[in-house]
Amino acid sequence: MNDPTAQFDFLGLTFDWGTIISTLLAMAIVVIVSIVLTRRLSLKPGKRQNLIEYLLEFTSSIVDGQLPKKQARQFGLYAFTLFFFLIVSNEMGLLLHFEGADGVTYLKSPTATPIAAMTLAVMSLVIAHGIGTQELGLKGYLKNMLFKPYSWMLPLNIIEQLANFLTLSLRLFGNIFAGEMLLTLVANNLAWPGHFNGLWTVAALPIEMIWQGFSLFIGGIQAYVFVILTSVFIAQLSGNE
Amino acid sequence: MFGLTTLAAEKIPIGNSVFIIISFLALMYILKKVAYGPVTKTLDDRAAKISNDIDGAEVARQEAENLAVQRQSELADTRQKATQVVADAKASAQKQSDTLISTASDRATLISQRAQTDAEKLKEDAILNAKNDVAALSVAIASKLMQKELSLNDQQALIDAYISDLETK
Repeated sequence: MNDPTAQFDFLGLTFDWGTIISTLLAMAIVVIVSIVLTRRLSLKPGKRQNLIEYLLEFTSSIVDGQLPKKQARQFGLYAFTLFFFLIVSNEMGLLLHFEGADGVTYLKSPTATPIAAMTLAVMSLVIAHGIGTQELGLKGYLKNMLFKPYSWMLPLNIIEQLANFLTLSLRLFGNIFAGEMLLTLVANNLAWPGHFNGLWTVAALPIEMIWQGFSLFIGGIQAYVFVILTSVFIAQLSGNE
Repeated sequence: MFGLTTLAAEKIPIGNSVFIIISFLALMYILKKVAYGPVTKTLDDRAAKISNDIDGAEVARQEAENLAVQRQSELADTRQKATQVVADAKASAQKQSDTLISTASDRATLISQRAQTDAEKLKEDAILNAKNDVAALSVAIASKLMQKELSLNDQQALIDAYISDLETK
């Protein structure tokens, strides 16, 4: 990850081309897949409609398991978008990885950068805290978050909230980043370190395939875990444990 | 942290966060319009339709049951009516035949009475004729025998007495 990055400043903020391009591509894929799958919706679903209905019911069931019906309905769109975006992002880097001539990686999983993962975690937690405040009122929300089950647990509860943020973001980032890094390591150092590497070049193929399959699995699991943890946090913070 | 130290070396791309949040919100909006809204609506519509269909089936079943009960009672009613009609017809036929028989027997009695009367009249006529003939013959015979003119009228009373004497015997 000591790769150079292509950065530019705009309105006093620093942007990173690699993340922007990857995020936009992932979102474009999500939108295109959604449009393709939802053409000609009918009460009697076809194959494509079944697929998107299955996806939607899957994310809704994650949320329904944690939250009361009213909140689950409110939160359904966020969970659906989050899961769809995460699963596309996580898997994208395994299939598409583009490195420019200047050594800058322009295309990878957006979730393989800590900033992106943390941004998504912050967004989820802001929503969770917001719903908590809305449900319990500011006083009830603070009491529920900091003084439950006993008031002397205040320090532990503060640490827990910070840990929630770190675990949510770094779990996602770490899994996806590690998956991609190992793929790159196998490819660059084992299979083709600038020249033909004898038996290792041949042996690298099954290793790469196995790890790629495992990473695909991990990417799906991480998207699922991220959504389920978000709904768990919402449930916790709004007192619906 | 591997990635974090790297980032510390360069400028931390906070703009990425802003970009990701804004684009994520946009993605949420697009997905709501394109996928989430329509698909949720379809799912809800389907659930409503299935629930309606189940209710409708229940109503239809109830209706069919009611109709069956109605049919059953109508059938029983009709059967009763048919029995009634047959019984009525039987009774009326019986009555008619009784009337016919009684009329026929009346007429037969009448005919036989008339025949009897006719026969009696014929008999009387025959006797009367015979009486007259006998009287005439007797007179003729008597006048022949006695060569004597006898008045028919004088003899008539005698012969009548004689005949009625015969009849009583």
